Amino acid sequence: MLTNNNKIFHRKKIMVVFLACAAVLVFLFGRLVYLMVWKADHYSEMATQLHERERSIKAARGKIVDRNGVVLADNKTVCTISVIHNQIENPEEIISILCRELELSEDYVRARVEKYSSMERIKSNVDKSIGDKIREYDLPGVKVDEDYKRYYPYGELASKVLGFTGGDNQGIIGLEVVYEETLEGEAGTILTMTDAKGIEVDEAGERRIEPIPGNTLRISMDRNIQEYATQLATQAMATKEADGVSIIVMNPQNGELLAMVNVPEFDLNNPYDLPEELGTDLSAEQKQNALNAIWRNGCINDTYEPGSTFKIITAAAGLEEGVVSPESSFSCPGFIVVDDRKIRCHKTAGHGGQDFVHATMNSCNPAFITVGLRLGVDKYYEYFEKFGLKQKTGIDLPGEAGTIMHKKENMGNVELATVSFGQSFQITPLQLLTTASSIINGGNRITPHFGVEALDAQGNVVEEFTYPVQRNIVSEKTSETMRSILELVVSEGTGQNGKVEGFRIGGKTATSQTLPRGSGRYIASYVGFAPADNPQVIAIAIVNNPQGVYYGGQVAAPIVRQLFENILPYLGIMEYNQ
Amino acid sequence: MAAQKTGKRKRKEQSEYYFDYSLLVIVLFLLGFGLIMVYSASSYEAFDDYGDAAYYMKKQLVANILGLVAMIVVANIPYHFWERFAFLGYLVSAVLIVLVMTPLGIESHGARRWIRIPGIGFNLQPAEVAKLCMILFLATLVCKMGKSVRSLKGFFFMLLAPLPIVGMVYLITDNLSSAIIILGIAVLMVFVASPDYKKFIIIGLLGVAVITIALFTIISSADSVEGFRSERILAWLDPESQAQDKGFQTVQALYAIGRGGIWGQGLGKSMQKLSFLPEAQNDMIFSIICEELGLFGAVAIILMFIMLLWRMMIIANNASDLFGAMLVVGVMGHIAIQAILNIAVVTNTIPNTGISLPFISYGGSSVMFLMIEIGLVLSVAKRIQLKEL
Repeated sequence: MLTNNNKIFHRKKIMVVFLACAAVLVFLFGRLVYLMVWKADHYSEMATQLHERERSIKAARGKIVDRNGVVLADNKTVCTISVIHNQIENPEEIISILCRELELSEDYVRARVEKYSSMERIKSNVDKSIGDKIREYDLPGVKVDEDYKRYYPYGELASKVLGFTGGDNQGIIGLEVVYEETLEGEAGTILTMTDAKGIEVDEAGERRIEPIPGNTLRISMDRNIQEYATQLATQAMATKEADGVSIIVMNPQNGELLAMVNVPEFDLNNPYDLPEELGTDLSAEQKQNALNAIWRNGCINDTYEPGSTFKIITAAAGLEEGVVSPESSFSCPGFIVVDDRKIRCHKTAGHGGQDFVHATMNSCNPAFITVGLRLGVDKYYEYFEKFGLKQKTGIDLPGEAGTIMHKKENMGNVELATVSFGQSFQITPLQLLTTASSIINGGNRITPHFGVEALDAQGNVVEEFTYPVQRNIVSEKTSETMRSILELVVSEGTGQNGKVEGFRIGGKTATSQTLPRGSGRYIASYVGFAPADNPQVIAIAIVNNPQGVYYGGQVAAPIVRQLFENILPYLGIMEYNQ
Repeated sequence: MAAQKTGKRKRKEQSEYYFDYSLLVIVLFLLGFGLIMVYSASSYEAFDDYGDAAYYMKKQLVANILGLVAMIVVANIPYHFWERFAFLGYLVSAVLIVLVMTPLGIESHGARRWIRIPGIGFNLQPAEVAKLCMILFLATLVCKMGKSVRSLKGFFFMLLAPLPIVGMVYLITDNLSSAIIILGIAVLMVFVASPDYKKFIIIGLLGVAVITIALFTIISSADSVEGFRSERILAWLDPESQAQDKGFQTVQALYAIGRGGIWGQGLGKSMQKLSFLPEAQNDMIFSIICEELGLFGAVAIILMFIMLLWRMMIIANNASDLFGAMLVVGVMGHIAIQAILNIAVVTNTIPNTGISLPFISYGGSSVMFLMIEIGLVLSVAKRIQLKEL
């Protein structure tokens, strides 16, 4: 029984207990508010990371199309087959079906099906038809994900220019590397909610972040020209038993490359296949070296001594500086003495008396050495740099080789003399072609390039690529003189094999001996352009180590002639001189 | 007042006695809500393990019904009937705790805390018995001691009397949380029985000091201290750093609470119950309530507990005698301490220790004993004469 007195203090104490408990509960309520309002984002984000399984969806890589929209690099849909261990219901059925459809050994499939992992890839790059077939079995735990694989419809065409992609669709060589950003697109994701064991929660559905396909790259290459040039190069390589033949076709006015051929090419769809004669017992390093050699783009990755085609540059420098004019007269006894050295002309009997135009038509070494010496080391070096020969051309392909040239302070008259007719230094074929273009196009140093514009999936232009042009490296007058001299080289001089009936062609031949001298290895080359008075197309053909006749005029000039015979009408360059 | 002395008067005045329907409604609500949440939290794992999504819910339903029957029976027995069993109950709980060590003991979840009652396949947790018996024992003791409660000797006697049981629960069944609950019930009951405040303030300050020093030692020697409890403390301070280990359950509970936000994911939409939070229907069920029903669901539950305590306070204050009042205070303390500690653990306010949420968490023996206690409270309430109110 509670006495009144007792009751009062007991009641007070009971009240205190209640209030204390209620206060603690209210405090806990406050703690909950903090967790569920202030920290809610933090914890739910972490929880979502825990609950979601991510599968990425590859973005379709952008296509590469030629100037007319012909697709040169495309994607084909392939499937990746994987198993999710926790969702498998009938492992034996899965193993037998996958073995049969994918033509894999049972041990291989069994090991993967029975492995306890969240997701195990069985096979990738499976044909879409097989992937669809497996999907139709509707096997729980088997995932068929569609995926893209790079596909090159023309196989070997322009292999060293286009390049190819690796396992993650990333560019390995060529344009695929340089335009990676344009082409790659953005991968998407499939996010599925799973329980703690990794089993998908059906009713939660999936969240998809759609991939953004890459942009289409339009390049200046013309598939028809590229294909024809490849045929010519392959033919020449076979008939001349050469090591390799390169052809570059360019628009000399803006630097757009229409074709770049380096035979032998390789199959872009199987870039890792080695020629059978190499055998199979190669070390990994040997194999990689062999592949690198196969993938090498000689037009830009390798340098050579240009030989007589370089006389175009010496002539332009001489004319520009005024140390020589078309009427200047030279006499060639078959050699010239520079300091204490006697340098021979290719015609040992000598060309006798001739003016500068004829000296060029005859490709007379003593005449050009004289021009070089008249300029002197300082001036010559100045022009060499002004013409852009010391820099790279800036082409949008990876691995361009730089110029190998004497240092100015080490250059004496002998070195100057050899440089004047294109020896004792090395440049890339593209460098020669670019410099020659700049001299004949009115004096604008252009940047050779393939990339024209990037297009989105709807074909709208997203980005137009621009390239630097350096104006007035030579005057228009010098340029005009050069064009007419070079036209005479083809019409009456050493380049007569480059003549195309009905067209005005300019050009210059070269025969250079490769180092070491006396090895009997030559490079025959020829630069030709048309129309001679207003060049719209320029081409170079380089035959590396031809057997038998090795003169540029005999070996290389006919290649460009045949090329021009076909492509000039194709390009709409009409007959002028009739 | 002395109403129980003659049966005749009792029957006559029955209608004037009080029955606390509010309390009953609150308890029934918590039970019903608990069933829904147990089903929601356990169905996924239950289906996985037993092929029956309602496996745990059905078992809990049976325990609830048995508990309701026990409550009705106890509510209709005049509570003074139990007074004579007070000391016996104390001894029985001690014996039951010791029985855990015999072959009758059952080990589960890495701890030996249960005994099997032969024949009916029902497992009993002696700690639950001890809680109930301690309430009865102390209420009886306070009444027996009368005025001597106020002396210092009486005060210490009351405080020391429960310690053997507390020690046994902690040492023999290695059950710190139950030991804390029993000690807490005892302290609250002694607090109400004794008119003094000072001593309790001193006890409170001492307790705070001991906890502070213990925490400080553990934190300052974090690298060297090993063992079950100190690891739990470190996991409490920074659960995310130990998310794969001791902090796992806490972090998963926090994820669930955080996911709930203000409005919750919706009933049945918890992700954390999909095996991320193991045995979500047990001690951590409050986090699933938070995840599915949000802050509002959590507040509703907290409010229900506050109302439950309030009803018990009213009953205790108006109890017809001190014994009744002390019984209700004990039950009130038990439910309050357990609810507070459970929510505090789930929200990582205190270090993780296994305490179930009264009436809601899955667990048959817990709900049975809670219902018996509610029966006692209702029985006390019945003795209240309406004119006293």
